[in-house]
Amino acid sequence: MKNGLALFFGVLATLALSWAGLLLTAHRQIGALSQFKDPADDMLYPQPLSGVADQGRLVYQDLGCVTCHTQQVRQHGFGHDLAEGGRKWGERGSYARDYIRDRTVLIGQSRLGPDLRNVGTRLGDAKPEEYNEWFYKLLYAPQSVAAGTNMPPHPFLFEVHPVAGRQPSAHALALPAKFAPGPGLEVVPTPRAVALVTYLRSLKDTYDYPIERTRNLPAPKEGGH
Amino acid sequence: MNSSANNRTEQMEIDASAKWPVLFFFGSALLWLLLGGVMQLAAAMQLHQPGFWSGCEWVTHGRLVPAAQNALVYGWGMNAAFAFGLWLMARLSATTLRHGGWLFIAVKFWNLGVALGVLGIMGGYSTSFELLEMPRFVSLILLAAYALIGVWAVTTFSIRNTENVYASQWYIFGAAFWFPWLYAIAQVMLFKAPVRGVLQPVVNAWYAHGLYNLWFVPLALAAAYYFLPKILGKPVANYYLASLAFWWLAITSAFAGGSRLIGAPVPVWIPTMGIVANMLVVVGVVIVALNLFGTLAGRLEAAKSSLTLRFILISIVSFVLAAVMNLALSMRGFAAVVQFTLLDGLRDWLTFYACFSTAMFGAAYFILPRLTGKEWRSVALVKVHFAATALGVLLMVAGLTYAGWHQGQLLNDAAVPFTDITKAMSFWFAYRTVVLALLLLGHVAFLLNFVWIACPVNSRGTAAATFRPPPDLGLARKEGHA
Amino acid sequence: MSANDSNFHVEQAGASDDSIQQVHARLQTTKPEKADGYSKLPLVLLGLMCAAIFFGSIYLAHYSLRFDPLVYSEQASREKPGAVKIVPLTRAQLGKKVFDTTCITCHQANGLGVPGQYPPLAGSAWAQGNEERVIRIVLHGLNGPITVEGKEYNNVMAPLGAALKDEQIANVISYVRASWGNTAAEVTPETVAKVRADTASRTAYWTAAELEKIGK
Repeated sequence: MKNGLALFFGVLATLALSWAGLLLTAHRQIGALSQFKDPADDMLYPQPLSGVADQGRLVYQDLGCVTCHTQQVRQHGFGHDLAEGGRKWGERGSYARDYIRDRTVLIGQSRLGPDLRNVGTRLGDAKPEEYNEWFYKLLYAPQSVAAGTNMPPHPFLFEVHPVAGRQPSAHALALPAKFAPGPGLEVVPTPRAVALVTYLRSLKDTYDYPIERTRNLPAPKEGGH
Repeated sequence: MNSSANNRTEQMEIDASAKWPVLFFFGSALLWLLLGGVMQLAAAMQLHQPGFWSGCEWVTHGRLVPAAQNALVYGWGMNAAFAFGLWLMARLSATTLRHGGWLFIAVKFWNLGVALGVLGIMGGYSTSFELLEMPRFVSLILLAAYALIGVWAVTTFSIRNTENVYASQWYIFGAAFWFPWLYAIAQVMLFKAPVRGVLQPVVNAWYAHGLYNLWFVPLALAAAYYFLPKILGKPVANYYLASLAFWWLAITSAFAGGSRLIGAPVPVWIPTMGIVANMLVVVGVVIVALNLFGTLAGRLEAAKSSLTLRFILISIVSFVLAAVMNLALSMRGFAAVVQFTLLDGLRDWLTFYACFSTAMFGAAYFILPRLTGKEWRSVALVKVHFAATALGVLLMVAGLTYAGWHQGQLLNDAAVPFTDITKAMSFWFAYRTVVLALLLLGHVAFLLNFVWIACPVNSRGTAAATFRPPPDLGLARKEGHA
Repeated sequence: MSANDSNFHVEQAGASDDSIQQVHARLQTTKPEKADGYSKLPLVLLGLMCAAIFFGSIYLAHYSLRFDPLVYSEQASREKPGAVKIVPLTRAQLGKKVFDTTCITCHQANGLGVPGQYPPLAGSAWAQGNEERVIRIVLHGLNGPITVEGKEYNNVMAPLGAALKDEQIANVISYVRASWGNTAAEVTPETVAKVRADTASRTAYWTAAELEKIGK
């Protein structure tokens, strides 16, 4: 090829082709995906995050949690993320519509830690006050609630200060002795930690969109198709 | 006009015009390589020693990993690519690098941008999108600096004194345009006018795959296509197929980004398209392999005793291996197991380090004596560098392939509690740390040699290099066996 | 000094740039001559390209699932979108959502309630019995002593008739009646509407004694 101009147009065309074929087409298909209105209760799903939860999303983003955690539950039949015979990371696979409320969608690429898309539902029968406590302990001293994990501690999300004769804070963490900061000291979550935990608890994709559910049902096994 | 003596003079002028910009680009690249390497090593250590550096928010794992990756990709990778690309474009266009002063400004701005970006990530302003973590404002600095560099490469090409355009020039020319377009479009679609929902990961995958396969791989191939005939004195085998490979790879690689989204909550045609693209890429890789390995055929001993070609050998083998790995990861059954494991990270590492970085090392060993007029002072350090790199690549590929497979099997076995997976993998995390330390050792050896050859004060003790005038390339008698 | 070592001090070039470009430019336009007149390589490559495109197209056609934007599983049905009827959720499945937002805090996710405080719904004769009673409890609330499964509870359940629509009430009661081993029939919104109309003037909470008089 001798002609610089021809080379330029060829180079432009190859990238334009993939931009149009992949991104533009995808954008036209799901770029305007909107909420779904449930006929029974007239509510729109997915519902937006609360303000504090949205701030928590920013903390999730700035601390780089996406480095080790995914937020995508794979569909039935692909991997073992779901309930039966699987890790119970969700009741159903994730759909695109689940993410439209998220201003930054961090589905992640690495599972050095568990998937977090439905982490807000995973503490099952525990009382709500206990949920928060579990998450705070996980962030402050992961080994205290998950022995053997390699999740790094995030002590900078907490404030350790002396109790000094006052009433201990209602929000102080009840850590086991091995992880507690020491006598006379208490560990209290900072607003960033509160926001982050609120965000994590808001992560639950429990609404089952009828159209997506139907379209994604595994095809019945047909002989010789 | 083709006498060797005339060629030598011309080349000396070209080299002289390129000397300081290329040295500055390469020097910055090496500093980023060391810094990024240390950060990467620390981050790797955090995987099996989670308390390491965990008290300080700036170096918590979630920030250290993207900071290290950005330092390596945009600090080492891009700077080395600029150094090599500018030099080669000047050489093959047989014209000097004009007004090199502007390139100094570009180097400073590029490094400023990367430094601000890395600091921004560590300070908590990460956007959390892979390879685009740097805070938004940094992209403007980088694009402005790049504009200078890209314009330089393209204008050098357009004022070329040669009639013919060689394969390496196509790849550099293509890359010079693909990168800024990929980067600018990704910045707009993710940050300036953000797309909704899962389109964000789609754009991210398109960008990441494009950066590796339409910027770094073309530059590695440009190096391979140039240095093989240059050092072996033998034309590239089956060269008439090379342009086909170029266009084929350009088109198919651009679509392959979707294969990073298999199983993701995106319309299933997107990963399918990526999978099909990865299948098609194989054809281009076969042609490139025919070109490059065909050239090596019968000259393997000469290649192995050549400093540059040893590295280029690793590079082209890794290129083929990376394509095979991309294809394997596109097989849904396999992907279901090894997605999200260490094997996924290995795929990108193969392309960026084992294919691109080794090619840049090889190129540097050829270029730097010609720019500085000095020879490499310590052969021992050269051997340390090569041994560390070769061994490191081998250990990393073999070890992490197995580790990724094992991790994937454990992840998909619901009976295994998650902390048990961590325990099982802690050996492999430590293994990975050791291999990264080995590679870093090689880089330190290289930096020492670089300082002795390039820094004006330190290089006084280094012997001057003598260059034999290169013969003309002869057409081999028996050409291009099928 | 060995050849190896001198190579390692500086790499000598084996060809000049100019000749590289000229020779390759010539090579680009001339295919290699072959002894027997044709070279296998282009044919092999052509075959490889065709095979790749062929298999790629089949794969794309098969696994793109009609480029449907709402399909995320490659194992999903390949029927046309209109051909697959939407499988509606059962009333009990829909009711779970209401239960999880409204009832779960007291009656708990496992339907066992809190001993001494909130009565269980699992295995409860009250929940599985006459639907008129259950609907009334949900509409207007309940206070005073009530015996559930042999234990006595004395607490207040707030009325939900204003907060929930008939459809939601029918769904959540159906869910309770079909979960945790309960096997009672589902409740329809029409029944709820009828009960709501029948008790339109009622504002006070129900008591267990009053409810036992209803429906015998």
